[in-house]
Amino acid sequence: MKTGLTVSTVAHAALLGFGLVALSAPQALEVADVEAFPVDIVPIETMTQIQHGDKKAPVAERAAPTPTVRPEPVPLAKNVGDNDTDLKTAANAEASKREVQTAVLPKPEPVPTPAKPADVPVEKPKSDPAPVPATEVTPEPQPRQEVTPDPAPETAVSESPDTEAVKLPEQAPSPQSRPQPPQAQTAKAPQRRDAEKPAEQQAARPQNQERSFDADQIAALLNQEKTRGGGALRSNDQAALGGERTTTGQKLTQSEMDALRGQIQRCWNVPAGALDAENLKVSVQFKLDRSGGLESNPEIVAGGNGNSVERAAAESARRAILQCAPYNLPSDKYEAWADVIVHFDPSDMF
Amino acid sequence: METLTLAAPGGELSLWALFWQAGWVVKLVMIGLLAASIWTWAIIIDKALGYARARRALDRFEETFWSGQSLEELYRTLADRKTSGMGAIFVSAMREWKKSFEKGARSPIQLQTRIDKAMDLALTREMERLESRLGFLASIGSSAPFIGLFGTVVGIMTSFQAIAGSKSTNLAVVAPGIAEALLATAMGLLAAIPAVIAYNKLSSDAAKLGNRMEGFADEFSAILSRQIDEKVLHKAA
Repeated sequence: MKTGLTVSTVAHAALLGFGLVALSAPQALEVADVEAFPVDIVPIETMTQIQHGDKKAPVAERAAPTPTVRPEPVPLAKNVGDNDTDLKTAANAEASKREVQTAVLPKPEPVPTPAKPADVPVEKPKSDPAPVPATEVTPEPQPRQEVTPDPAPETAVSESPDTEAVKLPEQAPSPQSRPQPPQAQTAKAPQRRDAEKPAEQQAARPQNQERSFDADQIAALLNQEKTRGGGALRSNDQAALGGERTTTGQKLTQSEMDALRGQIQRCWNVPAGALDAENLKVSVQFKLDRSGGLESNPEIVAGGNGNSVERAAAESARRAILQCAPYNLPSDKYEAWADVIVHFDPSDMF
Repeated sequence: METLTLAAPGGELSLWALFWQAGWVVKLVMIGLLAASIWTWAIIIDKALGYARARRALDRFEETFWSGQSLEELYRTLADRKTSGMGAIFVSAMREWKKSFEKGARSPIQLQTRIDKAMDLALTREMERLESRLGFLASIGSSAPFIGLFGTVVGIMTSFQAIAGSKSTNLAVVAPGIAEALLATAMGLLAAIPAVIAYNKLSSDAAKLGNRMEGFADEFSAILSRQIDEKVLHKAA
């Protein structure tokens, strides 16, 4: 037994010793030397959900448009810009090269209400000298108009705050500044007034108009041209990367799309011949208005121009869209479903 | 920007490191299995040598026994020697025979029974000697894998606890613990496989030797029985 034990112990020790040397560390798995390369993951939102901003500005944490020049806020303004009135045109849209056809208020009555606010007293008389001859006034006041920068001392009618308003043209139109325009037209107005209306009426008139009538707002409504300006929402922030206007990038949810699909499918009478044609596919495009009604006739954009069966299928698809017309879609996502393309595939139906 | 880098694991994976990193339960299991392996091999070597020696002894004894030498003479040479195997059986039978005749036993049947009993006893004793410690091989062969598995399970348990603590599932973190745990199973198998093979081989060898001795015992019993009959007839005549 002693020999066996000795031999066994020695053999084990030898084996362990060999193991410690030979199996000391297995060769590390050879991993190909891969050079790490950077991968930028670009979210699709950068394409679909553009904020109003500067196209060349760096990406910022928070989207911001280019800073506007005049920071006084206008209440309830929605579009960024320097205007006094909130217009929908972009803040830095280029003025059209062709002649601007701004709607000019007709002035049948010789009321001295200004077409423009008081902040341009100097130019105004120059810009429309036409109305002056229209009125049956003596030409003598015209030379006086050129000296308008300091007509204030001359006017006896105007009150003292009026003179201040002339010096500070930035001041927004206010009841105090209103009486100023008559001052600008000192030459014509008093003469006409004298002829037609008493002085008291003259004072009362601008006051009433102040509530009901704002020339800027009407101009904004009538304005059909893209002009310099933009909205009235003031911005002080550093410009961030963005597009010309904000697109919300809203999408219809799957269930909303299913609802639309179901609505169209109910009205779709698949022509009998279409059942056999396996790859008979028709795409119909149509525009919707905000109420969900059809804005344009559905237009077949793909398929339906082969044999009679295909034409029939295309017509049936078009009919289905016309038939189901007022579509029930979330109005707050109108941008997403204003223009719809529906793919009709008869092979999916059966 | 995500920069991905692939790095080779830096864990120490040598045998000694694997053993040293293991928990105390796993270490205990490994040490036990190592000891069992050493003892198994000790038994295997001892038995293999012993059986070879026993086989040679049987051959030599049979040669001498059937050489025509007188049994009395053979007994005299073997009686004062330490004998094993067939020699031991022969000596025990002859001793009983001598005792009976020296004291003048009269019943031949009783004598035959006594001699058979003595030979059976010697045979059993010899077989016991041959088969001693083979049971240890059998139990190591069947239980060592389980012991190793136990060490592995405990090792993997602790290594998973460590992984949960480190909050990383990197393979470099997971691998050393599992490798060290698997070492226990490897050692269990290392001890069990030779034990099972050796047990089967040695037990069949022992059975062969036992059959040979049994055959000799039967033969010798027949010879003695013939002798007894001759003596009884001689006496009767």
